[in-house]
Amino acid sequence: MVGSSRLGDAATARPSGDEVRAPAAPIVRFQGITKHFGNVVALDNVTLEVQAGEFLSLLGPSGCGKTTLLRTCAGLGSPTRGRVYLESQDVTDWPAHRRPVNMVFQRWALFPHKTVAENVAFGLLMKHLPRAKIAEHVGGMLELVKMSGYEDRYPKQLSGGQAQRIALARALVLQPKVLLLDEPLGSLDLKLRKEMQIELINIHRRLGTTFIYVTHDQEEALTMSDRVVVMNKGMIVQDGSPAEIYQRPNSVFAAQFIGEAVLFRGRVVQLSGARCEVEADGQILRCQGRPDLCLGQDVVVCVRPERMRISTTFDASLDNHLEGRITNTIFKGPAVHYQVQVRGGPIVTVHQNLEQDVPLHLSGSAVHLGWSGANCMPLSG
Amino acid sequence: MIARVAKRGHLGPLVQLGPLTLYMFVFFVVPVGIFLLYSFWTVREWDVVRVWNLANYRQVFWSPVYPKLIVRSLSVGAVTAILSVVVVYPLAYTLAFRLEKYRDLILFLLIVSLFSNYVVRIYAWRSILSSNGLVNYILMGLGLAEGPRSYLMHTPWAVILVLLNVYIPFATLPIFSALLNIESELLDAASDLGAGALRTFWQVTLPLSMPGVVAAGIFIFLLSAGDFVTPELVGGINGMMIGNAVATQFGMVSNWPLGAAMVFSTILVFLLALAALLAARRGARLVRL
Repeated sequence: MVGSSRLGDAATARPSGDEVRAPAAPIVRFQGITKHFGNVVALDNVTLEVQAGEFLSLLGPSGCGKTTLLRTCAGLGSPTRGRVYLESQDVTDWPAHRRPVNMVFQRWALFPHKTVAENVAFGLLMKHLPRAKIAEHVGGMLELVKMSGYEDRYPKQLSGGQAQRIALARALVLQPKVLLLDEPLGSLDLKLRKEMQIELINIHRRLGTTFIYVTHDQEEALTMSDRVVVMNKGMIVQDGSPAEIYQRPNSVFAAQFIGEAVLFRGRVVQLSGARCEVEADGQILRCQGRPDLCLGQDVVVCVRPERMRISTTFDASLDNHLEGRITNTIFKGPAVHYQVQVRGGPIVTVHQNLEQDVPLHLSGSAVHLGWSGANCMPLSG
Repeated sequence: MIARVAKRGHLGPLVQLGPLTLYMFVFFVVPVGIFLLYSFWTVREWDVVRVWNLANYRQVFWSPVYPKLIVRSLSVGAVTAILSVVVVYPLAYTLAFRLEKYRDLILFLLIVSLFSNYVVRIYAWRSILSSNGLVNYILMGLGLAEGPRSYLMHTPWAVILVLLNVYIPFATLPIFSALLNIESELLDAASDLGAGALRTFWQVTLPLSMPGVVAAGIFIFLLSAGDFVTPELVGGINGMMIGNAVATQFGMVSNWPLGAAMVFSTILVFLLALAALLAARRGARLVRL
C-alpha cells in the first residue's frame, strides 16, 4: 500500500520525491477489529494499515462502520475484539486522552463557554505548557487556518466554515501523529465545501501529518485522497488509489457507490486470457478478463458512462455495441447526459463532454452506443 | 399603542402574554402592593389605622429579636441552597451520564416523593432527631453517648437538614436537565484533546451545567428562606425564622401591618446583601485585570 499518485491534473499533483519508498512500518494498524453495539455488528473483523503521511479516506454509506473505525483509532469506544496499533505500539487499552491522535468532529464540538483562543489552546493547557508558549502556538495555528483576529470570539458567533477551521486548528495545534476527520464538511454549502477541500489538501501537504478522513461523498474522497478504503456493512470492500477504485471496482457495490455505472447482468460464455465474453440480454459483450472467472459464471458487467461513445452512426472499431433511442437529454454545462432506452434492455445514461461545439442529439433519435472491451469489467456482485 | 400593534398584525405576542401578565398583575403585583401599603400603617385595637408612618419598620429593626431572625432566615436559605446543590450534584451527574437504564425509575421515585405530605415528613424527622428518637437510640446503643443528645433538634441545623431532605427533587431536576443538555461530542472532544475524567469535568461539564446549578440554588434559597413550617416543628427557639414571626403577626396577633413590615424588611436586607455581593465580585474582577 505504498502511496500512489492521485487522479487529477498537474495543479494537485504532489511534488516528486514520493515515488516508491522502502516499505516502512504503518503509522496506524487495525488488526481484526470487531465492534458490536448490542445485536448490531458495526465492524466485522476489519484489518487495515495506514502509512505515515498519507491522506486516506474511509468511504461508504451511512452505517457502514467508517465512523466507528475512526473512533476506535481515537480511543472513543473500545472494540469488542481486535487490536489497534499506533506506530507499532498496542494502544487498544489506552484511553483517548493518552493517544497522540486528534479528531475533528462532524459538528465541530467547540466548547461554547470558551473563546476561540481558549478552544484552540485547550489541548496545550492539558499539557501544562507555559502561557506564553500557548499563545504563540495558538497564534500560529490561527494563521494557518486563516482565522487570525478571531481569538476573543465565541463559537456561537462563528459561521459554519469558520467553526470548522477552528475545530481543525484545535486538533492540529497538538501536532498529532494522525489527524482524524469525521465528515467535517458535511454541513457546509457546496461552494464552501469545495474551498475547504482544497484548504485541507494544502494543509495536509504543508504539515505532512497522516490524515484519516471519513466521508460518504465519493467525489470528495476521490478528490482529496491518496488512498480510498470503501466500506459497507462493517467490512472493507475495496482499498486502493482513487484511480484504481474508480476504474477497477471489484464489486457491484463499489462500482455503483463511486461514480456512475451502467450494469448488465449476464453469464460468462468464453474465456481467453486477457479477455472474456459475457452473454447478457441476448447480446455478447466483450470485456476485460479476470483470472478467477469460470465459464457459466454469473457476472455483472460494468461500464462507466463516460467511456461510452454515442453516435448516430455505427463505429466498427469499438468492441461492444448497443442500439437505442434517446429518451431524455440533460444539459449539464460542461457535459450533456443522454438517457438512452437500449433496444430490449435497460435505460442507460451516457455522458458526452462538450469540448467543442458539437450538435446535441435530439430526444427521440436513434443512436449507437459503443465502447471498447478494455473499459468493460465483469464483476461478481 | 394597541391600535398600532393590531394594525401591523402583530397581535400575537400581545395575545400570548396578555392573560399571564393580567393574572400576575391581579394575583401578585396588586396584593404585594397592598401589603407594601399596609407595612406603613398601624393597628389599634384590631383595626387598621391608615396613617402613614414608619413605626413598624422601627419596631422591626430596633428589636433585639427580629433582625436576628431575618439574618438567620437568609443564612438558612443560603446554606440550604449551597448544601442541596453540592449534595445533589453527584446524583444528578450519575443519573445523566451513567444510569441510563434506571433513569426513568429514579426520576419517578424522586417525583413521587413530592406527593407525600410535607408536614408529615417533617414530623417523621422529629421522631428521628428528638431525644428519644432514632439517632439518639443508635448513639446510645453504640455507646457513643451516655445520655440522649437533645441538640439535634431545636437548632437551625435541624431546620437545614430537614429542608435539604425535602427539597432534593427540586434541586436534582434543574441540574439533571442541564447535564443532559451537554452534547456528548463535547465530552469526546475534551477527552480527545488530552483531558482525563477529572479535568473534563472541571473544564467542560461543570461550567456547562452552571445554569442548572444556579437555577436550583435560587429555587432552593427562595423556598427555604421563607419557610415557617419546618422551623416551627423542628426549629425550637434557636431555629426560629422570620417566617414564623410573620405567620404569628398574620395569624394570632392580627397585626398585618407589622407582619408586612417584617416581610419587606427581609426583602430589603436581602437586596442589600445581594448588591454588596455583586459589587464585591465586580471589584474582584477589576483587581484581577
